[in-house]
Amino acid sequence: MTSTVTILAGQATGGTLLRSARGLAMRGLRSIRRLPSAFFPALAMPIFQTIAFSGTFFAITKIPGFPTHRSVNWYLPLACCMGSGFGGIGLGFSTVRDIESGFFDRLRMAPAPRLALIIGPLFAVWTRVLIVITAALIVGFLFGARLTGGVVGLLLMYVAGLGVATVAAGWGLGLAYRFGDMRAAALMQLTLLTAIFLSNAQAPLNVMSGWLHAVARINPFTNILRLAREGWLGDVTWNATWGGLVSIVGISALTLAFAYRGLAKLAD
Amino acid sequence: MTTIAATPSLSPARSKGLWMSQTLAMSKRSVLAMVRQPALVIPSLIFPLFFAALGSSSFGRAVRLPNFPKVDNFLDFALAGTIVQGVLFGSVTGGAALATDIEQGFFDRLLTTPTSRVSILVGRLAGAAIFGAFQALFFMVVLLPFGVSIKAGVAGAIVIVLCGGLTAMAIGGFTAAMALKTGSSEAVQGSFPLLFIALFFSSAFFPRQTMQGAYRRIADINPVSHLVEGARGLVTDGFTAGHVAAALLVPAAIGVFSIALAVRTLYSRLAAR
Repeated sequence: MTSTVTILAGQATGGTLLRSARGLAMRGLRSIRRLPSAFFPALAMPIFQTIAFSGTFFAITKIPGFPTHRSVNWYLPLACCMGSGFGGIGLGFSTVRDIESGFFDRLRMAPAPRLALIIGPLFAVWTRVLIVITAALIVGFLFGARLTGGVVGLLLMYVAGLGVATVAAGWGLGLAYRFGDMRAAALMQLTLLTAIFLSNAQAPLNVMSGWLHAVARINPFTNILRLAREGWLGDVTWNATWGGLVSIVGISALTLAFAYRGLAKLAD
Repeated sequence: MTTIAATPSLSPARSKGLWMSQTLAMSKRSVLAMVRQPALVIPSLIFPLFFAALGSSSFGRAVRLPNFPKVDNFLDFALAGTIVQGVLFGSVTGGAALATDIEQGFFDRLLTTPTSRVSILVGRLAGAAIFGAFQALFFMVVLLPFGVSIKAGVAGAIVIVLCGGLTAMAIGGFTAAMALKTGSSEAVQGSFPLLFIALFFSSAFFPRQTMQGAYRRIADINPVSHLVEGARGLVTDGFTAGHVAAALLVPAAIGVFSIALAVRTLYSRLAAR
């Protein structure tokens, strides 16, 4: 009897969790239409970055050992991952707005599982990031990007983008819950930007020199960017894939746990 | 009415002196605001250095590429771009500060005093110029121990500091015009991507000689390229009239245009009151 009750309660909680998460996800997606000024920079940034970096740093592909002769093939995955990261951080911004306006208190008082407050908006972030990556891809193809790893390579770039978005969303939410105001915004952006740039973002490891090489070698974002790029630099191989997947799962787990604990502390 | 008639008229010399003292007071306020709120200006000092360090490690081998200007190391090449990048960040902060004055009503309170209207603007721009010059000096001093050598010597360094100040004033003119037009610090901050685009489609980060096609054509006509290359030439080539002229005259020319725009926007705002 006890186990039946537990199972039923579990099903009810699971159902409520999904329903609540779906409601919050829809709210996040509606904000694209209602507040396009907040979504537009996230959409425009990776497009601009693809175009500007590919043109400005065109010549670096001529450095001996550089893995492609198309600069856009190198910078498009970076732009997609950065755009995805800032899409994830955007969730932190909107949560800060909700906390400041008091709307978040009403959400917390609703009879819905706390986890839905993280999972729901995360679904919305993933959808927004899919739009951003697709838009950047179209522009990238127009500017000469060519896939070398086929459809699997393309899918891996989406996986990497969604992974970076998850990492950034967890980090942004955790900081938003802890600070509760816009002071968190600067910290979210600066830390993400620093973490990404201290990797193989601008140049491959074999082309780098000095201190950055030492840092980038142990930075998990190097693995994630390698995953994002492998379909643009050659064939897709398991060797270049697994490190990125492990990094995504590992850092996502850490940042989402950081967010969940922040939410729990906020409730206290 | 009687009061107006009784207001003593000032002699031109005294009026000019008053204008100067008002402008100096405004400049001092502008600089003190930056000193008292370091959180606003520190990013404009730290981030350009961070990107210079990144570029040095990432693109260090690029200096051996064909068509790359002859430099001892990538930092020599990057210094001028770092300065202009920092100055652009700082100028947006200066413009946003003027917009904040408008938002918070301080600008209106100034207008109720017998302060020269133009001195409000010029004071703000002078403050931006002082900070821009300081940024240029700061970047040179910080990067010198890391291998940067300025071929033009102390005279070249002075010209680069002046270039930083003039560039800050020139870009500050645009952000001040934006602040006066919109009265919104958010709108001024929103102008940052435009400046970022101007910076990226120039030779600030990589030489024009290595660019191709439309990028090269845009960089060729982008004044930021010529401004950066003037200061860069002083670092990598030495003290020549051409480099000095480019480092000083290009920002001065941009400044004439942007300050005229800002003054015009100021008078439009005053007329609309």
